[in-house]
Amino acid sequence: MTFQIQAEFSEETDLQKTKHGKDLNRFLFRLGVMVLCVLAVATTGFLLSPYAPNSPDFLNRLSPPSEAHWLGTDQLGRDIATRLLYGGIWSLGLAFLITFVGAVMGTMIGLVAGHFGRAADVVLMRMTDSFFAFPELIAAVTIAGVLGPSTANMVFALILVGWMKFARLVRSLSIDLVHRDFVVQARLNGLPSTLILWRHILPNIGPSLLVLWTNAWSRSILSISGLSFLGFGVQPPNAEWGAMLLDGKAYMQTAPYLMIFPGAAILLCVLAINLAGDRLRDLLGGNSVGTGK
Amino acid sequence: MLRVENLGVRIHGETILDAISFCVQQGQTLCIAGESGSGKSSLLRALNGLLPAEFGSLAFHPKSSEPTELEGRWRGVRGLPGSRWVMQDPIAALNPKLPLGVSIGESVFSKNLSATELNDAVSDALSEVELLPELAVRRPSEVSMGQAQRACLARALVARPDLIFFDEPLSALDAIVQKQVAATMRRIQMRYGTTFIIVTHDLGFAATYADHVLVLRNGKIEANQSAGNFFRSPESRYCEELILAARELGGLPEVVPAKQGPGEARSC
Repeated sequence: MTFQIQAEFSEETDLQKTKHGKDLNRFLFRLGVMVLCVLAVATTGFLLSPYAPNSPDFLNRLSPPSEAHWLGTDQLGRDIATRLLYGGIWSLGLAFLITFVGAVMGTMIGLVAGHFGRAADVVLMRMTDSFFAFPELIAAVTIAGVLGPSTANMVFALILVGWMKFARLVRSLSIDLVHRDFVVQARLNGLPSTLILWRHILPNIGPSLLVLWTNAWSRSILSISGLSFLGFGVQPPNAEWGAMLLDGKAYMQTAPYLMIFPGAAILLCVLAINLAGDRLRDLLGGNSVGTGK
Repeated sequence: MLRVENLGVRIHGETILDAISFCVQQGQTLCIAGESGSGKSSLLRALNGLLPAEFGSLAFHPKSSEPTELEGRWRGVRGLPGSRWVMQDPIAALNPKLPLGVSIGESVFSKNLSATELNDAVSDALSEVELLPELAVRRPSEVSMGQAQRACLARALVARPDLIFFDEPLSALDAIVQKQVAATMRRIQMRYGTTFIIVTHDLGFAATYADHVLVLRNGKIEANQSAGNFFRSPESRYCEELILAARELGGLPEVVPAKQGPGEARSC
């Protein structure tokens, strides 16, 4: 009798939880497939094209979209569609790399500050604050400008201005978690700090981190394109969406497709990643820090 | 086995606990009662080294672990060796991202058991608290409150402690589950002779299970008596009122039944 009651009770909670869990899993699966598709297209798509992304064809300069060149050609006769696909590697890939390194850096700094507190917290967070004091893009332009325009310098500059948000988020979440009952239990049971961080803190801030990361990724695509447009980022003849915008600027009146297509690519990618991030945040909702409810 | 004398805790100059002295014998149950804010939970936190003690001494002599003796200003002892702590909200006390079995296994982390030994210990502990060993792979959100609290109890038990602290162990559960979990606690105590220190504000529960009652108010001791004496002739006016109020609400029977436990209430 009593066991029956318990069984019914647990079944009910199971149902509620698994419905939510299924939604989330299905979404994460779709998102993963989507990201893989985009990355596959961006990294190998240009190989399928009959044109090389960087070889000029002076007989076909500035030709409008046609059957042979779906999105037209640029001022050197290079196929825009091929360059767009090829440029995706730079725009998406570099943004991925930059935000990934930034996320790892910021997470480590935030964890140390949040978990060990006291002096470490003060030093690391004041450092974070001082990095925050510079406007992101201007600081990146300055660093890239001082070091000289090159792709590596741009990556370095963007990593340097991009990790602080992760540090702040991770710190505030882990400060909250450190005082949770289950972390106290782990500490009383004699688990070493590293294991507590790895097993108890990190998995519980993971979802929030993922949401912030999607946000950072889309912003980073914009930053890379922006810097490349200004001439500090990916250098010609390599195609990058921002660099393609720069190329097309001179021909905006006569051949607007030089700018329309790279612009649309940036817009769609950033929009897609932002929408995915929003949906992810909705699904992870209040559960993100493990409120348990 | 646990003797605390003249314990004082101060946070930011404010006295949280003052001159707390009590002791518990092996296998007995001490209930700590009092209104919210009276320092019940702070006492548990201080005993587990989460709050620094300003003054006082503590001597803990468990059967199966090294004794702990602390005096003066002590702090930073992370949990008394040989004791475990079951918290109030079982869902908060379990990592939502970890399977119950892993959480339970962490309790014996310091013993460095092999994977199979650990598995066996966890399943044993789970069946000890009347849960199916299969529950070890579930996460806290996938079990009921009662099952989660049993898992917390299993986490304490797997370490074979001589003393278990409970902080309002039943207050997050509904009545039927309360009764079941209380019965499990009782059975475990009978079987292993574990000492229980239970923080509760339910005097009815204390009347049924306690050998000894400690009543706190504003961080000071109002009563420190054996359960029988406490409910017959409480030490202070405040405790009389407390008992009367509990009677009026119907949570406390007129005649307090004698506890059938291991051994009579001994004074110390």
